[in-house]
Amino acid sequence: MIEIKDLHKSYKMGSNSLHVLKGINFTAEEGELVAIMGSSGSGKSTLLNILGMLDEADSGEYNLDGVPIKNLSETKAAKYRNKFLGFVFQSFNLINYKSAMENVALPLYYQKVGRKEREEKAIKYLEQVGLKEWAHHLPNELSGGQKQRVAIARAMAAEPKVLLADEPTGALDSKTSYEVMDLIQNINDQGNTILVVTHEEDIAHMCKRIIHLRDGVIVEDKKIKQVRASSYVQ
Amino acid sequence: MFNKDTWQEIWHSMRNNKLRTFLTGFSVAWGIFILVLLLASVNGMQNGFEKQFNDDATNSIFIYPNATSKPYGGFEAGRRIRFKNDDLDFIKGSYASSIEYFSPRFNRSMTFKFKQETGAYGVVGVSPDHQQIERSIILNGRYLNIQDVRNKQKVMVIGRQVQKELFKDEDPVGQNLIANGLVFKVIGVFGDDGNEREESNIYAPYTTMQQIFGNSDQVNTIAMTYNPEFDFTRAMGFGDTLEEVLKRRLTIHPEDQSAFFVNNFAEGFSNVQSFSSFLKYVAIGVGVLILIAGIVGIGNILIFIIKERTKEIGVRKALGARPIEIIKLILLESIVITTLSGFGGMLFSMGIVAAISPLVDAPAFSNPNVDNTVVITCTVVLIFAGVLAGLIPSIRAANVKPIEALRAD
Repeated sequence: MIEIKDLHKSYKMGSNSLHVLKGINFTAEEGELVAIMGSSGSGKSTLLNILGMLDEADSGEYNLDGVPIKNLSETKAAKYRNKFLGFVFQSFNLINYKSAMENVALPLYYQKVGRKEREEKAIKYLEQVGLKEWAHHLPNELSGGQKQRVAIARAMAAEPKVLLADEPTGALDSKTSYEVMDLIQNINDQGNTILVVTHEEDIAHMCKRIIHLRDGVIVEDKKIKQVRASSYVQ
Repeated sequence: MFNKDTWQEIWHSMRNNKLRTFLTGFSVAWGIFILVLLLASVNGMQNGFEKQFNDDATNSIFIYPNATSKPYGGFEAGRRIRFKNDDLDFIKGSYASSIEYFSPRFNRSMTFKFKQETGAYGVVGVSPDHQQIERSIILNGRYLNIQDVRNKQKVMVIGRQVQKELFKDEDPVGQNLIANGLVFKVIGVFGDDGNEREESNIYAPYTTMQQIFGNSDQVNTIAMTYNPEFDFTRAMGFGDTLEEVLKRRLTIHPEDQSAFFVNNFAEGFSNVQSFSSFLKYVAIGVGVLILIAGIVGIGNILIFIIKERTKEIGVRKALGARPIEIIKLILLESIVITTLSGFGGMLFSMGIVAAISPLVDAPAFSNPNVDNTVVITCTVVLIFAGVLAGLIPSIRAANVKPIEALRAD
């Protein structure tokens, strides 16, 4: 599903250049649930952003579902993001003047799905994350956990091939974190490929595979026995 | 492009950013408001000027006879020049296409008597065209007509002042008036906006006057207005032609400057007109500056809006919004705000101008009004250019890398 070869990325900081990714090789099959770990500055978010086409690598190859991702125009990138990828951010990034349902329906709007079908689908995904009753509430009327669940519903609404989550539990307490991870595990159980960036050990162990990044290179890549989040959630 | 979703997006973002919406709208409406007031003021000043010069038609030519100063063609210097009826027919016949209105003037003073009231007034024998040349306004009854002239009727049109002095409160139309012992019938009363002294005059058919005063065929002055489509050069040329032709006809030395005088209003009025058009250019100049200020203002607000929405733009892009959709989102919203407020400001200010316009009538400032097409054009230009000014920052925002947009706060 995801295949990257010798990926490099550096940032210009004034006259200095900061080499963040120093040759990453990595593949992920369909249906995997991968945790990308590392301390801050290890390059894990940069890697995720490149995988999500939010940022561009300096060199290296990237194939997503067999499609080479290279030198895309913004229009093309927008199309691929819409078709292939769903994003979950640490700070939720919901649009604050739109209701939960409208937020979830937004990717479908950019897919040119009709209004009625959009709203039906949005309600369906909100139901999956247990927030059907909150469909017409604005984000500032929701708790942090609820906001993240709306964001996950939004990411899933476009039925992407890969779900990318950048510290999805970073702004949540542990109880809510486990609820969110339970949701992510359920989505993974349905066969979706998910990449989670995190620096929390317990969250990482709820995935099926952990990749450790240090100073821009992969230092460890191991399959693990998944801890089910549902055991923490009553 | 303009489906219900688009409108809902715009409505949503306007409703949730009331201050921003208000500020944008207000600055546009204010620009238009100032512009309309400026244009109205300049128009008011122009109207005021034109009113000052409203006594006679602005395209008048008057020819006054005098005496020769050079011997010529067997005549000695000092010969008195007189215009006669056949001179009138000659000018009228030769230059019909250059002349709009044409009338002789035959001036005499006469003593009048109505009941117990008496008075001496100037009587001018004229033809019906004189009404337009002098811009006499009929207040009551009628002006002279061609039948009066042809039949040498003893009829008179009296000025408002004459009516006041001789008739007091009585209706003069249809009354008989004794002038130099002869009975005239009053057929009308006139006023004159430009010149109140004019209202002490009395008009009668020139043929009647010529008959009364010695069966003369002479006239004192030739008055006419030239073809109003003439520009300055052609108007002046026509005056010069008349002078030349009359000199030849009356055997006057071509260089003789005092035989008669041609007073061509084109000369004086061109000064007024050039001042008027100077004012207009000043108004256009200031108007353009106001428009530029308005455009910069709209551009500024758009840049601010884009800055404020950078993160939202990043989120939308992450969800698959194409650059064109981002541009559309920002521009359509600003087009809606500027259009609504622009036309709102326009209607508001035009309403104010329409309300105060009839109340203002000072000597140099009267009836300030605005040309609707000019105002609408300005509004459209402002909206269009303002949006154009916002196009560049919105294109830049739409093409920024989503990761940079998402990092913004």
